[in-house]
Amino acid sequence: MKSETVGILQTILRIPWHLLFVAGVLVVIGAMALYSASEGSWAPWAGRHAIRGAIGASMVLILAFINFRLLRIWAYPIYMASIVMLVALLAVGGDGGVARWITFGGFTFQPSEPTKIAVLLALARYFDSQPLERMRSVLTYLPPLVMTGVPFMLIVEQPDLGTALALALGSVAILFVAGLPWRYLLASIVLGVSAVPVLWSQLHDYQKARVMTFLNPGADQLGAGYQITQSKIALGSGGMFGKGFLMGSQSQLNYLPEKQTDFVFTMIGEEFGLVGNMSILGLYLLMIGGVLTISMRVKSRFAQLTCVGVGVMLFLYVFVNVAMVTGLLPVVGAPLPLISYGGTAMLTVFLGLGIVTSAVVHDRPDVE
Amino acid sequence: MSRKAKQKEGRRTMGRRTLLLGSGMVLVTSFLSGRLYQLQVAQNNRYKRLSDRNQFDLRIVPPRRGRLIDRKNRLLAGNAESYLLHITPLYADDLDRSLAQLGQLVELGEDDVTRVKEAARKGPSFRPILVRESLTQRELARLAVRSAYLPGVTFEKTLRRIYPQGALTGHVTGYVSPITSREVEENRSLGDLPNLATGKIGVEFALEPELRGQPGNERVEVNARGQAIRVFRDFDPQSGTDVQLALDIGLQQHVTNVLRRGQSEQVDMASPSVQQAIASDSDLKLHLASGENMLLRDPIGKITPPESGAAIVMDVHSGEILAMVSAPTYDPNMFTDRLLTRDWRRLNAHPRNPLLNRVTAGMYAPGSTFKMIVALAALEAGIINESTRHFCNGRMELGNATFHCWFENGHGSVNVVRALERSCDVFFYEIALKTGIQRIKAMANKLGLGDVTGIDIPGEKPGIIPNHEWKLATHGVVWTPGETVVAGIGQGYVLVTPLQLAVMTARLANGARAISPSLRKIEGDVEFPELGISESALRIVREGMFEVMHGSLGTARSHNLSSNQGGMCGKTGTVQVKRITKEQREAGITKNIERPWKERDHALFVGYAPVRNPRYAVAVVVEHGGSGSSMAAPIARAALQRVMEVNGEV
Repeated sequence: MKSETVGILQTILRIPWHLLFVAGVLVVIGAMALYSASEGSWAPWAGRHAIRGAIGASMVLILAFINFRLLRIWAYPIYMASIVMLVALLAVGGDGGVARWITFGGFTFQPSEPTKIAVLLALARYFDSQPLERMRSVLTYLPPLVMTGVPFMLIVEQPDLGTALALALGSVAILFVAGLPWRYLLASIVLGVSAVPVLWSQLHDYQKARVMTFLNPGADQLGAGYQITQSKIALGSGGMFGKGFLMGSQSQLNYLPEKQTDFVFTMIGEEFGLVGNMSILGLYLLMIGGVLTISMRVKSRFAQLTCVGVGVMLFLYVFVNVAMVTGLLPVVGAPLPLISYGGTAMLTVFLGLGIVTSAVVHDRPDVE
Repeated sequence: MSRKAKQKEGRRTMGRRTLLLGSGMVLVTSFLSGRLYQLQVAQNNRYKRLSDRNQFDLRIVPPRRGRLIDRKNRLLAGNAESYLLHITPLYADDLDRSLAQLGQLVELGEDDVTRVKEAARKGPSFRPILVRESLTQRELARLAVRSAYLPGVTFEKTLRRIYPQGALTGHVTGYVSPITSREVEENRSLGDLPNLATGKIGVEFALEPELRGQPGNERVEVNARGQAIRVFRDFDPQSGTDVQLALDIGLQQHVTNVLRRGQSEQVDMASPSVQQAIASDSDLKLHLASGENMLLRDPIGKITPPESGAAIVMDVHSGEILAMVSAPTYDPNMFTDRLLTRDWRRLNAHPRNPLLNRVTAGMYAPGSTFKMIVALAALEAGIINESTRHFCNGRMELGNATFHCWFENGHGSVNVVRALERSCDVFFYEIALKTGIQRIKAMANKLGLGDVTGIDIPGEKPGIIPNHEWKLATHGVVWTPGETVVAGIGQGYVLVTPLQLAVMTARLANGARAISPSLRKIEGDVEFPELGISESALRIVREGMFEVMHGSLGTARSHNLSSNQGGMCGKTGTVQVKRITKEQREAGITKNIERPWKERDHALFVGYAPVRNPRYAVAVVVEHGGSGSSMAAPIARAALQRVMEVNGEV
């Protein structure tokens, strides 16, 4: 038995600095994009974005000193707390309004974002406690379905389609890595597809309009197709190398809505072209690859699953956003991690990276 | 298999599947990259063309905002075409020369020119810069003829919100102004609408969803110089709904005039004596600088600004508001364009805050107009009946405090009807004490005081009807009997809005039905629930209000409506703003008009007409107006007289 504690020097040496570096580069890119989005000014977004990035990075360093085993103990309580928060949110905004935010002291916060982390921790904790021979039984997979289903329904209810889908796909990915037999995987895909009509009935009118627009851009009543059209024009006109920093006429002329949040990728594409966009995708792959590599290196099952979950979460953020702005998915409202302006998503990403860091630093094999 | 081997096996599975997952991600990312390549490289030319505005420019067409009309279909808020002039530096060969040319065709101020040059220097050259708003027809015609020689100059038609009645309905309509980022934050779908103006206050805010409508979109074919050649409409915008209000503009105008004039005469602003008065009075200068265009000569010959306050006329059966006046007011047209800082500064410099809607958000002590509530509470509790008498000798002792009646010699022995007629304070001190604050509060709440009325405009204040719990919660000390005495004549902590007073009066007049005020015109009959106040108690209180206007000693007997119009009932109220010391009382300095304006009493009046089958209720508050009977009652009578003339008898 080695001692439980890890010294400060050891901690610093074990921190996956390469991940932090990539995250830092992405935040800087984000700040530059936001500087451009406000026509070359640090206000209102770029400056705050950079500050939040610095706070997020320090949070990762603080989490490095938190013993990872505590997360395992706290996984279920954290999960319960996030469910309570979601229910409270529905109770507050239950008058047909969109209830996604909690506001305190001028700071708005979207509980559905960190819920993803809570769910992946709970799932990892669950599979960690299951003996391997049970992984073949269908009964083993009922609790995780409920654990995912409850927050999923609550988030659909808000309604926040983008986050709900990411949550569902992320859970399926964790189940898959945990050892879900292939036949169940196929069954759950079928189940997911058959849930579509139910989801549809839960959507708000403007969201239905967005989905309809996506399926049939010609019949556009609400201007939801307008967003996609403008996004495609801005992206497409960027070409190989883009029009140059601060020269994106589509974005700068305000043809592009939400350019500081959901459509920031579009703006980068207009100003830096395919090269700019591909570089960003490359950076994300580097970061996600780093996280998945760590997941294969860590010794405990719980740590392994948690890291996979974080990697999948990061990937889904990127996938949903890029697919949306290129017109492959309806406009659901999904940020680009570390680049879009918005505190909650950034916090969630850094939280995920912090958990991975803690997993590496305090890595120990499962106790027999 | 041993446990160890099993674990190894499990780890291997997980590793394999993680790799699989990773490969899947790489695959999906490649697919996304393919899509990006397709858009940005393969179809680059097509999108470049679109972006260079060489072919189509997709535009959102803002919807026409619904109009507001009064009960007789006169326009309160409508839309006028307005043209904006832009210049795009990229297409203008020489900005300075273009601006000089434009200056010969349209009116351009020096500051306009510097603003445009500044914007061109700062922003990218492809961004159109606003040169002028609200072009006149003549300017437009001149521009249209020359447009071929003016590269980079575009003009665009927009709809501008107009308020034909201007300041007269400012507090009713409220105003619209450009959408704020905060609103977009709350409703993401608004983010797609450039140049949208949304209601910020008044009916414009309250009925925003109805008035807004749905945007359409159009594709504009533009040539290489950025000028529109043809327009294709994909979707027509859907106009917002027109809304008819209960307001009667004629009545609104009349009530505004009588309220602003009060008991004074309008003076000729040009006369030397008036000019001299203005020169020597900084307060008058402030009023004139903030856009006031009327001055008065008060009964003692002093030049003063118009009166400020609130007046409401309401239908007692439907709750419809026929007039709602808050003075001073402001012109909502000011807010439609970019608000000029000068105008804003002037509004804010006005000594009497014209932006405050005194009807819904002005809080005043109700004074003697509160006595009906106390009387009803006492009658309903069985504390008094019609013949219960109290002796008033001009004061009441309680512990070591003395509470005075406004009539120092005392009213003698009075019952509740006489006490209302002559507004005897001592009678109400006595019965308030016996009834207790809790019952008084319950009755006040029943008649609509102490909470918002739910009128269709934002920013309403609830007022205060105090009791034991309220006192503890807000002041941390217990309620004392002395405070009940003061509350009994509507002073102390009690605060109401003029709108609440109108609701209270309408409920007294309509047989205690729980009407609520409505700015919308109401078609057909509406039924409101009963409040559960006994017919006999109501009859006694209304008799008191009848005697106020008809009794030989009624406080407002000289301001009654003529009997062929059915007469009226009412109650005066005079609220001290500044305590008068004993010495001053003895020295006899009690004449309001001789005190500085800020120290004069508020004048209140509530009433309804006709006496039989009441139809209209009215509430008037004149800030620092002196006395309720001489200042507020005539205004109320004038309002009732007009509304009866116009609408006749039922």
